[in-house]
Amino acid sequence: MAATDAKVWLQSSDNVSIEVDRAVAERSMLIKNLLDDLGSDTISQSNAIPIQNVNEAVLRKVIEWCDHHRNDPQQNPDDESDARKKTTEIEEWDQKFMQVDQEMLFEIILAANYLDIKPLLDVGCKTVANMIKGKSPEEIRKTFNITNDFTPEEEEQIRRENEWAEDR
Amino acid sequence: MASRVAPARAAPSQMPPMPNREDIGSTWGYLQAGITRIMMDLEQGIDMQMYMGVYTCVTLQTTASLVLRANRAHRAIHNFCTSQKAVSLSGPSMHGGAHRGAHLLGEELYRKLIHYLDEHLTSLLETSKSHTDEALLSFYIKEWSRYTTAAKYTHHLFRYLNRHWVKREIDEGKKHIYDVYTLHLVQWRKVLFERLSNKVMDAVLKLVEKQRHGETIEHSQIKQVVDSFVSLGLDETDPSKSTLDVYRFHFEKPFLEATKAFYQAESKQFVAENSVVEYLKKAEARLAEEEDRVGMYLHQDIAVHLKKTCNQALIADHQVLMRDEFQMLLDNEREDDMARMYNLLARIPDGLDPLRSRFETHVRKAGLNAVHKIQAAEGDKLEPKVYVDALLEVHTQYQGLVKRAFNDEPEFTRSLDSACKEFVNRNEVCKASSNKSPDLLAKYADVLLRKSSTSIEEADLEATLTNIMTVFKYIEDKDVFQKIYSRLLARRLVHANSSSDDAEMSMIGKLKEACGFEYTNKLQRMFQDMQTSKDLNRDFKDHLDNGERTKTVDSNFSILGTGFWPLQAPTTAFNPPSEIASEAERFSTFYKHKHDGRKLTWLWNLCKGELKASYFKNSKTGYTFQVSLYQMAILLLFNEKDENSYEEFVSATQLSPDVINQTLVYILKAKVLIMQGGPGEKPGPGKVFKLNYDFKNKKIRVNLNLGGGVKEAKQEEIETNKTIEEDRKLVLQSAIVRIMKARKKMKHMQLVSECINQIKSRFVPQVSDIKKCIEILLDKEYLERLEDDELGYLA
Repeated sequence: MAATDAKVWLQSSDNVSIEVDRAVAERSMLIKNLLDDLGSDTISQSNAIPIQNVNEAVLRKVIEWCDHHRNDPQQNPDDESDARKKTTEIEEWDQKFMQVDQEMLFEIILAANYLDIKPLLDVGCKTVANMIKGKSPEEIRKTFNITNDFTPEEEEQIRRENEWAEDR
Repeated sequence: MASRVAPARAAPSQMPPMPNREDIGSTWGYLQAGITRIMMDLEQGIDMQMYMGVYTCVTLQTTASLVLRANRAHRAIHNFCTSQKAVSLSGPSMHGGAHRGAHLLGEELYRKLIHYLDEHLTSLLETSKSHTDEALLSFYIKEWSRYTTAAKYTHHLFRYLNRHWVKREIDEGKKHIYDVYTLHLVQWRKVLFERLSNKVMDAVLKLVEKQRHGETIEHSQIKQVVDSFVSLGLDETDPSKSTLDVYRFHFEKPFLEATKAFYQAESKQFVAENSVVEYLKKAEARLAEEEDRVGMYLHQDIAVHLKKTCNQALIADHQVLMRDEFQMLLDNEREDDMARMYNLLARIPDGLDPLRSRFETHVRKAGLNAVHKIQAAEGDKLEPKVYVDALLEVHTQYQGLVKRAFNDEPEFTRSLDSACKEFVNRNEVCKASSNKSPDLLAKYADVLLRKSSTSIEEADLEATLTNIMTVFKYIEDKDVFQKIYSRLLARRLVHANSSSDDAEMSMIGKLKEACGFEYTNKLQRMFQDMQTSKDLNRDFKDHLDNGERTKTVDSNFSILGTGFWPLQAPTTAFNPPSEIASEAERFSTFYKHKHDGRKLTWLWNLCKGELKASYFKNSKTGYTFQVSLYQMAILLLFNEKDENSYEEFVSATQLSPDVINQTLVYILKAKVLIMQGGPGEKPGPGKVFKLNYDFKNKKIRVNLNLGGGVKEAKQEEIETNKTIEEDRKLVLQSAIVRIMKARKKMKHMQLVSECINQIKSRFVPQVSDIKKCIEILLDKEYLERLEDDELGYLA
């Protein structure tokens, strides 16, 4: 294992190079695998890892999250307990972290998905789920600015199919 | 395929430009270039741009339909929903559409990857046809290692596909969808392995055969093949687990078959050309070699099967031959060879049983022969030591053999034990009387424990006593030994000629350990009585010192508990001389004062003493006579006058004529008294005895108390034998009553066998004796007959 203070450089889609502790960057499975496969000596300030899908603002945000969670136990996709998956509870720091505009929230989720950071993806999706929870379809459409393109017949059919899930 | 690879090779760093994400065709072109690079040219390295490019490309392909910003929300929600399996109330039509789009694209990519792998593997298969044997092995290993390394990279690059599309397919229960790494293995197996494995195996087997013929081989190659075969074992029902099925079928099976054929042929030829002893060595070496082989380059899983196969071909197929040789090895004491044979036959089921029975027979014969030899040499004057030593020698020899050659195995020890039991209890010496073995053993113990000029060192004594116990263990009639031993112990104690208390205690302790408290109870009590008596005599002396001091006799008394000692009160009347009588009287009074209500019976026949005489013409110092009390009574009569008649002996001592005659034998022989009349005449009524003033002897102390011992012992021996039968009946009866009291009801047959079980540690009871005892108990109404051959207990 490389020394704990080893550094890597990430290059955002808008060509900004950011220096990150290797341990922090390795919260991303993509970067971890890449470093394992290619060897860490291929990385240098002049040869940063290109993160083509993420711009600087979002990348910094993601790195902030990774830095805070740098010492979390490595997640294992298989043994994540069902209980943890099913709750929509989010720890306090993460809640504050996610207090951003919708645009940024979705950017973070996409970045987490792309970079393969499962816990961050979960937190993002939970945040969105909490925005939906307890709302009527009409309110949801309003929240996310979605136009209703269902015909009334379609809508009725869907409601019937999902009746079992309604709160009574 | 080859033509497609070429451009990538020619310009390794030049990747095609990142394709338009909408176009699967050009996207795949880009991906394929990357994968080919990884597959064929990994040693040249791949750069980060390419790595990230391919990864991003896979990502985009899988999510191609979802790139519109307006749809991001749904995409995110969708992700959450599918992975979380929670029910959401989001816009259903968008949800369904997104799902379908991603699904189709992932599948496309997956199919293309399979197709690519198929082509790659097919071309490898084609190339492999030009190789055989070791070259083929090298080729296989090289390609396998290249392929699996590439698989690992591709697996990482396609992680997005794994995470989303593959995961969803598997979650939905689709069969034959694997993560990308596993997919590589599955395709390898399907396209290449199934068509090539036989050839690879042939090469492996040829290599192994070379090694078995003593050539040096590159065995790391085989190790790698094994690893490859093992890796291909995928559990179809659960891809996360692996099985050894593929390895077992394609590697283990042919390997074992080849092994079997090889050793069958080899051993057959070897046996035909060499001796069995040589073959044992050969087989041993071969088996060790095969065991090493497993550690060197085979999978641990084969160990048991390989061992079994070798055992069959090398040992089981030749076991009859080996066993036939065993007797020869026994006869010639070839320990190493026997150990070798033992180790070999121990490896196959039931391999040793015939050896054990042969061993048992052999030991029994050896024991019987040893006894026959000493019997022939010594005849009737068989010394106990010679007999016991002969038995021990055989036991020691074969116990050593069991230890050294047969791994000290309990089964062999059992065979040894039953053989020893046989020859200890049923040999030529025992033919005369079945009590001969316990008798001689007890006598040997007596010889050892008795004071004598040839007494042995204490450490040796202890060891010899332990040896006696070894033989004792095999004695069936332990009750006979007990009887004789206690008689001899009594004699040692009464005559105070035991060599050491410690040795006596040690021997009693050993017997107790072997047979329990009950067995040695009486022996221990006898021993205790002697200790108590010592204290009692001291007290008595103190008592006398304090009272009137008219000491004419220096006395010593032993108080022996009735019932513990195998001794009988004299049958003849006796009037002890006044000196003795008064001392005895004093002691009686003292003792009764101390222990009120106890009855003392005088065993005059066992008393002895010393007489100091100073009437001799030829000696100023005089002589001391060691005499029995009876002799003393007669000799003391000569204090009054120099001549006494036979009748005077009778009236003074009250002894029966038999005893008087016996008492006189040694007195006359030593010429202390002279009997009137010619030589050859026997003492009897009418004879007159005269004190011999001319008595002469080399020793100052003259022992006249000799004859009694021998005759007495003979007498006792006969009585002992008589009582054994009586005692056995009682033991049997009490055992029967004990059993019936516990069980209340029992079948006749069961009772008999239970009875044998309980008794056999003491002696081996005859069924007819047990039946007789049951009859006696029925008559005495301890038992009653019930229906159906059952017996009942009557309280």
